[in-house]
Amino acid sequence: MKTAFATLFAGLLAATPLAAQTAADFPTKPMTYIIPFNAGGESDISARFQQSEWEAVTGQQVVIQYQPGAGGAQAWSQLNSLSGDGYTIMGINLPHTVLQPLAGSVGYQTEDLTPVHYFHYTPDAIFVRAESEFTSLEQLVEYAKANPGLVTFAGSGSNSSNNLAAIRFNEEAGVTTTYVPFSGTGPSITAVLGGATMAGFNYATSGVSQGDAMRMLAVASEERLPVFPDVPTFKELGYDIVGGAYRGVAVPSSTSEEMRQRISDIVSEINAQPEFVKKMEDGGFVLTDIGYDDMDAFVAERVEEYTAGAKALGIIE
Amino acid sequence: MDILGYLLDALTPFNLVLALAGVVLGTVIGALPGLSATMAVAVLVPFTFTMDPAAGLIALGAIYTGAIYGGAFAAILVNTPGTPSSIATTFDGFPMAKRGDGGLAVSVATIASVVGGMVGAIALLLLAPPLARVALAFGPTEYFWLAMFGLTLIAALSVGNTLKGLIGACIGLFLSMIGVAVVGGDVRYTLDMQRFLGGIDLTSAIIGLYCVPVILDLVASADPHLKPSAQGGLRTAEGLALSMRSKFNLLRSSVIGTVVGILPGAGGSIAGLVSYSEARRASAKPETFGKGNPDGVIATEAANNATVGGGFIPTLVLGIPGTPPDAIILGALLVQGIKIGPTLFTTDAPVVYTFIWGLLIATLLMLPVGLLIGRYAFASIASVPKAVLAPTVALLTIIGSFAIHSNVDDAQLMVGLGIVAWILNRYGFQPSPIVLGLVLGSIAEQGFVQTWLIGSASDRLPEMFFGRPISIGIIVAALVTLVFPIWADWKARRRKQLAAATAAEDDAGAAIAPEIKTRDVAGMGFAAAFVLLSVAIWMGASGMSMLGMVFPRTIAVALALFSVLLILQNLRRPANPAGRAPLVLDGGALRRLLLAAVLLAWVFVLPELGFLVTSFAAFIVITLIADYDRPPLRTWLLWIAAGAIICTGFWWLMANVLLLRMPAGLLF
Repeated sequence: MKTAFATLFAGLLAATPLAAQTAADFPTKPMTYIIPFNAGGESDISARFQQSEWEAVTGQQVVIQYQPGAGGAQAWSQLNSLSGDGYTIMGINLPHTVLQPLAGSVGYQTEDLTPVHYFHYTPDAIFVRAESEFTSLEQLVEYAKANPGLVTFAGSGSNSSNNLAAIRFNEEAGVTTTYVPFSGTGPSITAVLGGATMAGFNYATSGVSQGDAMRMLAVASEERLPVFPDVPTFKELGYDIVGGAYRGVAVPSSTSEEMRQRISDIVSEINAQPEFVKKMEDGGFVLTDIGYDDMDAFVAERVEEYTAGAKALGIIE
Repeated sequence: MDILGYLLDALTPFNLVLALAGVVLGTVIGALPGLSATMAVAVLVPFTFTMDPAAGLIALGAIYTGAIYGGAFAAILVNTPGTPSSIATTFDGFPMAKRGDGGLAVSVATIASVVGGMVGAIALLLLAPPLARVALAFGPTEYFWLAMFGLTLIAALSVGNTLKGLIGACIGLFLSMIGVAVVGGDVRYTLDMQRFLGGIDLTSAIIGLYCVPVILDLVASADPHLKPSAQGGLRTAEGLALSMRSKFNLLRSSVIGTVVGILPGAGGSIAGLVSYSEARRASAKPETFGKGNPDGVIATEAANNATVGGGFIPTLVLGIPGTPPDAIILGALLVQGIKIGPTLFTTDAPVVYTFIWGLLIATLLMLPVGLLIGRYAFASIASVPKAVLAPTVALLTIIGSFAIHSNVDDAQLMVGLGIVAWILNRYGFQPSPIVLGLVLGSIAEQGFVQTWLIGSASDRLPEMFFGRPISIGIIVAALVTLVFPIWADWKARRRKQLAAATAAEDDAGAAIAPEIKTRDVAGMGFAAAFVLLSVAIWMGASGMSMLGMVFPRTIAVALALFSVLLILQNLRRPANPAGRAPLVLDGGALRRLLLAAVLLAWVFVLPELGFLVTSFAAFIVITLIADYDRPPLRTWLLWIAAGAIICTGFWWLMANVLLLRMPAGLLF
């Protein structure tokens, strides 16, 4: 009974706009975490992993909502119209939030968004199905050199991280390949497994869910992934390709500085939970700890990199 | 057999309670247009984190299958698919309800859903790993042809009016292209408006296209919405007998549903449409389809519930979710630490098999739950006075379209499309071809462009499109579906002519005037407007990338072609001797206009004044518009109280249970 009253009182307090919310005791009620994509993708799964730790770290639950549309742009363009009290946060992705505004008018600019923490990335990787004749990247490169254009890569979407990586691979290896965009990781993996395309440029996470059915030829991370100790990185093989999709948490621009810092700290703390680390690493995600302090530098660096990529994609002159 | 042992694990009281609660909740949510299985499953996932994995899965699976089934209620009773899966249920379900067979339609839908659900779940139980290969055998080419197959249903839906049906399909296809293109990444036809970036939302379009015309017609006359049933009740025994007689249809549709369910991205709506068109083709009386043939309801409902079990096959075996709810359930499994993929059926066999048995039990529970809910739903829809029914349905359409993204834009789009659909329907352009185009457009486009990319990479374009065995099968099926209704129509007409000729001989000299269609001036006007639209679509495609441009231009050409044909066809017909029918603005038309104005005002004032206040005000005004009885003050007070309870109840449900962000505005 006592707790019930306490909860009620806390609830009333939170509902009173006059009772100033201090960052220290934040949050005092459940938070809402908007995922700008459909369920089942990497953004959703990593958020669900966070969700299962959220209550232990903050004392409050987080509710995940999906607001898919326009590859995330639908939700991002509305981010700043949401309440800046810290209780509504949104998933944010790179390179999406750099490439989309470059490609066309999508209702927001990269600098309009306020990411407070980028907590992981999924490195791009080249996959072939188990039945494929290719067992190493070298073989694939040789085949592509002998048959320009014939190698087809299935990937998730146009102007995406997968697409950038495929373009970069063409440049680095001096080959011509065909990138075939699909509406997400699921369909593009289906295309690889079913042999509709010769290979796939997907995220390393797919290698975990598919097990032996697919072979990962190379991964675009700095170091080999703990779950795939036998898969070489592009760097080892002599191709300078490191990248993937970064995922983080953003807040509306009206959110106060203290609150931005507090949310960044919450995400950092979840990132350190052993259970969370294990689930993420087993899933093929690479954890990063880019907090609010380092955000400006990190985003600036990425913008520079992706702007160069956008030129290669033909999005900008 | 090991598998049977897991049945006992599924039969614990806790699991049974979860299955029952899940089915009830799912059915109710599915019956409300716009509130989807995805939404319910997403909200409930966190509660399953603390449960045993199998129990959590059973709860989620039960909600999912219940919601797919529940969609039939709205389809039958108010002509609005509760979920996109039940689009084809409206074709025959609503005509049945209109003529007083609504109870029977609900019974038949329930039985078909249970059978379909069982077939899908049994396939999942016994054949999952081999069947998962079907998902892989379907490449982009097959998806393209499958979408084309779906589009051929238009020929059947618009017999005698094929050109208008084709024009409608082109408009639907055009609507499907609005927004950011998946393939190519172009921003297309958004008119630089933020709201169109994400494209036309399918659910809000369906609600608008099907439901708004129903509400508009509802207030235009004093006739009851549904004819009360002569026999009363749900006529379960009759429904059972009917289903027994249609056992082949039931089985065929369940198998189609299972197979389509296995294809990621295809889903329940396509399963329903494909099995509907197959049922129509196989029927001895295809002309009765669309006019209230129970076989149409059986086909759709068996197929869409079979997709539940089917959809779990690629989800569990390949880790590739078949549908959005599957995707959320996939996430829940990963959080539980269960590794999805080919080894799941051996490493985590207890969890998987217990879950599948639970899903089977939940499917069986739909029978009593559905018949019970159905009895009340039907009785209340049939007996509630129009003055309360019309505003309640209107409120549901607005809630439903708003709830999808917590966004008023979708509700505004819904009302706008609905009013346009009513006008178009009046001039012979029916909503179903438009919806078909919208549902199938993106699948067709992606499949087409991907096939084209892969084919040109290897210089095998013709073989890619026409040389793959599964594709050839689908093409043949599509051709049969396309030609059959036209041929059947021609044969029927010829038989009639022959009969008329013999009669004429007997009757020596008494000339029988052939049935002459007169010139459809309004239709020609619309066709001219569509020609202009196609020019605009063509022009708008310049500046897009090659990938993004192919499909819009193809559609523009097709739209222009069909529109010009329609104009030519009408020019050859004689003008209507009676001249133009005068436009009468009688009482019914006036009420309709008023209602359209109120709906528009509702969705545009909503973000300014707040959800609750606007909705309550609109509710009262629509009660006034829909009232024909002029009841005493007491009844009025009762109605107003009902309105207050309904509005507040739904507001509370949305804000506190589904946790949607409600527009607060000035008031609340």
